[in-house]
Amino acid sequence: MAVAADRIGELPARPDRVLRHAGVDRLVHWLTAACVLTLMATGLLPHLGVQFDWVGIHWIAGLALVVLVIFHILRSVIWQRLRTIWFSIAELRTHQVGKYSVAQKLMHHAMTVMVLCAVITGVLMLKKIRTPLLLRDPYLFGADTWGVIYVVHGLAALSAITLVIVHVYFGLIPENRMYLRAMITGWMSRSEQRARVAGIRAGDKHLT
Amino acid sequence: MEIFRMGRDIWGRPVLEGVSWHLIWVAVGLGVAVIIGHAVYRAIRPRST
Repeated sequence: MAVAADRIGELPARPDRVLRHAGVDRLVHWLTAACVLTLMATGLLPHLGVQFDWVGIHWIAGLALVVLVIFHILRSVIWQRLRTIWFSIAELRTHQVGKYSVAQKLMHHAMTVMVLCAVITGVLMLKKIRTPLLLRDPYLFGADTWGVIYVVHGLAALSAITLVIVHVYFGLIPENRMYLRAMITGWMSRSEQRARVAGIRAGDKHLT
Repeated sequence: MEIFRMGRDIWGRPVLEGVSWHLIWVAVGLGVAVIIGHAVYRAIRPRST
């Protein structure tokens, strides 16, 4: 099975390197990380006893995340190959090698569900507070519906804690440093790429 | 440990207010459990090379 179910190998900066992430994708990744960490800090710290005026920072970071999510979806659908992130059972059976490992795809899907739940409910919750963007209308929904919206938003926040811990851990362990460097600099060496392909074919799923 | 936060509306009826924030520590514990589980797996797994 060829490696290039994705665009690995396009536009190499040097012959011994392969481009893994374009600059715009790295920028979106780190801006998304900054937004998610800001949202977690402003949304969760007040519940742990750290009191500050968090609402303004929280909804502005949330709107920035909405913009990033829309951009990421459009870029994934229009300019990239959506199937590079798609998960199939065949990958487990045949040890297919694509741009992302099965574990990386599962992590992406979990993050996707978490972020979509958070931003959709978060946008609805904007109607509960005063912002320059929307007319406040806390009676848009009944109390029961608002309760469900709060629960979904809260569950997304809680799952974000677990997912961020797991994501950072797997990004920092030695065998995955090449992925972290690729997300910072954009490239992997060809020898790292060969070792990665051999590892996945041998059954090592790279639990990232 | 409660999973949901409940309140009362102006008529005194119970209404859902969100998830219990005590679950923050459950979420942290789950993340730490994954780290410990993977660290143990790394230590005992057979090498593929």
